[in-house]
Amino acid sequence: MSRKKAKQPKSIVIVGVQGFKAHNLLKHFEKNPKYKKVIAIDSKKPNITLKKTKYYKLDLTEPSADVSLAEILKKENCDTLIHTALPTTPPKNESKSHEFIAIGTYYIFNACSAAAVRKVVMVSTSDIYGAFPSNPNYLTEKMPTRGHLQSRFLSDKSDAEKQALKYQKKHPDRIVTILRPCTVLGPSINSYKTRYFQRPFVITMLGFDPLLQFVHEDDVIEAMIKFIDEDHAGIYNLAGDGVLPLSRVIELCGKLNVKLTQIGFKSMVQLLWLLDLSPAPSSHVNFLRYLCIADNYKMKKDIGFTPKHTTKEALLSFVGAERLRHINLAKTVNK
Amino acid sequence: MKKQTKNTASNVHVVDFTKQRNKKTKKTETTETFESLSNKLESQINEIEKDLKYSIEELENDVNNLYKKNSKQNLNKEFKKEFSEFSKVLENRIKKTIATLNDQAKSKTNKEELKFIKNLTSQLVNILSFDFYNNVVSKFDKESLEKQEVDEFGMDASLIQKVKPVFDFLYYKYWRVETTGINNIPNEGRSLLVGNHSGTVPYDGSMLACAIANEHPVRKDARFLVEDFVFHMPILGSFINRTGGIRACQENAERLLSSDHLVIVFPEGVKGIGKYYNQRYKLQRFGRGGFIKLCIKTKSPLIPVGIVGAEEIHPIIFKSNILAKSIGVPYLPITPTFPFLGLLGVLPLPTKWSIHFGKPLSFDKHTKSSLDDELMIHKLSEKVREDIQDILVDLLKKRKSVWMG
Repeated sequence: MSRKKAKQPKSIVIVGVQGFKAHNLLKHFEKNPKYKKVIAIDSKKPNITLKKTKYYKLDLTEPSADVSLAEILKKENCDTLIHTALPTTPPKNESKSHEFIAIGTYYIFNACSAAAVRKVVMVSTSDIYGAFPSNPNYLTEKMPTRGHLQSRFLSDKSDAEKQALKYQKKHPDRIVTILRPCTVLGPSINSYKTRYFQRPFVITMLGFDPLLQFVHEDDVIEAMIKFIDEDHAGIYNLAGDGVLPLSRVIELCGKLNVKLTQIGFKSMVQLLWLLDLSPAPSSHVNFLRYLCIADNYKMKKDIGFTPKHTTKEALLSFVGAERLRHINLAKTVNK
Repeated sequence: MKKQTKNTASNVHVVDFTKQRNKKTKKTETTETFESLSNKLESQINEIEKDLKYSIEELENDVNNLYKKNSKQNLNKEFKKEFSEFSKVLENRIKKTIATLNDQAKSKTNKEELKFIKNLTSQLVNILSFDFYNNVVSKFDKESLEKQEVDEFGMDASLIQKVKPVFDFLYYKYWRVETTGINNIPNEGRSLLVGNHSGTVPYDGSMLACAIANEHPVRKDARFLVEDFVFHMPILGSFINRTGGIRACQENAERLLSSDHLVIVFPEGVKGIGKYYNQRYKLQRFGRGGFIKLCIKTKSPLIPVGIVGAEEIHPIIFKSNILAKSIGVPYLPITPTFPFLGLLGVLPLPTKWSIHFGKPLSFDKHTKSSLDDELMIHKLSEKVREDIQDILVDLLKKRKSVWMG
């Protein structure tokens, strides 16, 4: 782990510009003159006006994507690559999402190998630890990820992480950073977890009340900018301080807590998922039952980064924006 | 008015809408009208602010009156009613003013005016937003918003206060617990309490925590580590977690001790609570010495604890493993009262308990390098086991009767 400050990156490439992270990062790059060369790559154009950012159209699911990506990286003399082409919401079509997450990441790291990219920053999720009754209360970065045992979406994500670590092992002189934020909440984010809390009644499991933790969207962006400006290799959990029980979260959201017995719960959720009524498939049910809390100690100690918002503050900012959205005074911009 | 409010919903983003119009029309309005307009609007906003302040004061008075008049339970309900009414009124007022502002924005075409109106609307939006909700409105919703949250391991202090009378009844009246040697627990700093586990249903952990909370002059913060299988079970798992129990594993215990907590452990685990009646007060194997490693790693003193009386509350005559497996419990006991007396058999027997805290043992001599020496760790754990067995023998010698002590 090198802690010294990096030289100002020559050129920054963002792969995947549809998510809220890329959206806010591009805004930051556009404003700040110290980033001289910014390149955005995706199959769709970002929905903000770009002045200095160069845009390339590239579909990561195409078989020749790695070759064309490598060409772009070489041509633009890419120094730092930010990989945000990982969807945060479990999609309906699992095989398509596998192509996108696992194979897309495979292509990206192939291209990075060929173009000798010095630094790769990737955003994963702390959900890939998986929710198990045998989890310790706080999961550190050293612990094995077991989310892939429960859900195919998470198994694709941990596959993507494995490829990043493999790249790091192959090229020890280069820097690979994996950020694992917990559930991201805030005034403008829209993910399957926010949709879960937006319903008039929230379905939970009778007798189970797991502890949850949130991080504010501004903190995620700030952490990513820190990783782009400085060199920190390794895996980092990102989470706000403090925890809240699920029942208390629903109380603060002002929603109705509907408790159902665990017998038949999973199949009911799967049915609702197929009918487009549930925000997540049944493989995510364990997150309503058991603990999955990430330890943010490494981030604080090694980098000196403490999230500005606690878990409760992140939740309240989401709830406040939700009230505004209810009377059409604010809208969700980002996905 | 209805039409106006509908308009506001669609014209929230005033700026985009009016920018297009600016291009088409020329500057025709004079500055005089602009000034008059701005004065009007400012006075409107000031009025709103005054009204807000006034209504907030009123609400505060109401709440204070409610506090004086009512008991706590009624207060919550009435307060919620009052608060929801207040927020509705507030929202409606602000919505209306935004509607009028939007109407004016439509008729005016001057850039500066539009900017001014835009600023005003954004001010109003800010009033409704998170900061306002957090700072001003939440002042009155203390009951629900500023309620003390769970701590980092999920202990809910308000729930404990609610449940405490039940455990106090068990402690003082039902089992008449006699506690000795409480001064062996230091007033400050970390320490690991190691006790004998017994009683089929593990009441001894909660009674031990209760003994510390009731008898010790300073310490109230004892946490107990619980077997894994509890967290598979609905209701019980989350209840135990909210009242201070944590899953027993090395990482959790290390974290607790390094933040200077008192931690209660039962190294016997399930073997201890599930033993037959004829094996009572014979300590079982002490795991793999994990608690010794913990003490050496975190440099915390170990306090041996003996509990007498818990063995007889549910004497196990027979255990059914097949039935237990289907429920997900490690064992299903058959006692003289359960299941023959039905629900009555679930009641523990009213024996007389006594708890003794032994002298603290310190492992400061051992360094981290000795963690690999399994043989020595086993020796140390056997020594602790003997200490606890000695405490039990002493307590049992003094005891005349199971029921009266």
